[in-house]
Amino acid sequence: MDNGGKEREEEQDGMSVHSPCKAPPSSASSLPKEQSQVELELRLLEALEIYPPVKLQGIHRHFVLYGLMEFLRKSFDRHFSSDEVLQLLDRFYNLEMLKPDDEETEILNHEEDFCLPQSFFVKEES
Amino acid sequence: MGNSSKDDSATDGDTSSGDTPPSNSGVYSEGEKVLAYHGPRIYEAKVQKAELRKKEWRYFVHYLGWNKNWDEWVGADRLMKNTEENVTKQQALDKKQGVDKNMKSGRSAQTKPKSSADTKVDKEDLKNNVSKGKKRKSESGVEKDNVSLEKLVKIQIPSTLRKQLVDDWEFVNQQDKLVKLPRSPTVDDILTKYLEYRSKKDGMMTDSIGEILKGVRCYFDKALPMMLLYKKERKQYHEVVIDNVSPSTIYGAEHLLRLFVKLPELLAYVNIEEETLTRMQQKLLDFLKYQLNPYKLYSTFREQFLQKNQSTFFLSAYDGPKVSEGKGKGKDD
Repeated sequence: MDNGGKEREEEQDGMSVHSPCKAPPSSASSLPKEQSQVELELRLLEALEIYPPVKLQGIHRHFVLYGLMEFLRKSFDRHFSSDEVLQLLDRFYNLEMLKPDDEETEILNHEEDFCLPQSFFVKEES
Repeated sequence: MGNSSKDDSATDGDTSSGDTPPSNSGVYSEGEKVLAYHGPRIYEAKVQKAELRKKEWRYFVHYLGWNKNWDEWVGADRLMKNTEENVTKQQALDKKQGVDKNMKSGRSAQTKPKSSADTKVDKEDLKNNVSKGKKRKSESGVEKDNVSLEKLVKIQIPSTLRKQLVDDWEFVNQQDKLVKLPRSPTVDDILTKYLEYRSKKDGMMTDSIGEILKGVRCYFDKALPMMLLYKKERKQYHEVVIDNVSPSTIYGAEHLLRLFVKLPELLAYVNIEEETLTRMQQKLLDFLKYQLNPYKLYSTFREQFLQKNQSTFFLSAYDGPKVSEGKGKGKDD
């Protein structure tokens, strides 16, 4: 994992199919920028361990995205917008191709009546 | 009267005289969410059936989130009301028991006895002893995929709103009333207004709250037909929500509030870091306090219900012909 930032960058460029316009705008300032990009991507991959991309499709999508935003915010101490995170993700995943996992479809698959927990009635007594 | 803990022999006191109706029994009703002891731990469970057998109430419970194979008949001594106090107790037990991996694997490995409840109890005791014996088998951390109770987000619903939920329950279930739909403001309106308010107040940084609110809306749309309706509201739902309309553009604060009761269950499926979870809880709570607070919407709740009650339109819509707000053609005179 610790091959220099340079190498990684090239590899990345070679492989990325979509997002052609993601490359740093000018090659002059590239070194520090590259490094921060690598750092960013590494962090993102780290975050994806907690927040699997699969969950970005389906009902939990927004909360997972929120989790990612917060993760990056904490790591870099700056605000990340949801668009920014999604763009970052786009370097690695084609989110639209992901299918929501089965577990998730199960949750809201059987109809049940709403049932107010007993604790609510207890409180009301007073 | 300590709860007699014997499972099936306690026919002593309340045999003949009806004056001591099995005091600690019959208290759980079908469909009620309860806390149930299973082995050394307490689980969230739902009473599926309640039966009076040999003067003693027996309850058929399903452990929420567990395979149906675990469903079983238990006595009242195994159950507790789902009160905050008891939930705390549950959590304390959980802590004491440490990692629940142990328990979990123990559970799923055990083959389900097909026999009667009573022998099951015995087996269970046995099992507990066993597991106590070799407790230290696995001390590793909590498993990731573990949708366990201790992980649940806790959203403390303010007391005024708790009361609203009780009223809501009463209106629908006791007084046979329904909320008039489409409701105004809708869930969408409420969420949008709140986002506007936050943007004015905190400037730029509303992206995260925006994401949370979107999440709430998404949950609402999916959860409404699946878990937010009382039985009596189903018919109305099918009349009003047609052609893929989002429920969040039809229903209002009453039902949104119910979502917050269910939110912990839903969020349990998302693995969120603790710190982030805490922040999120706070944001949700702010939303509840500010946007769903009684003085803004709540007072109109009552009006809504009252209107219903008074209008014959509502009554007829509830009982008979399929008419509902907005498309009741031919019925206005």
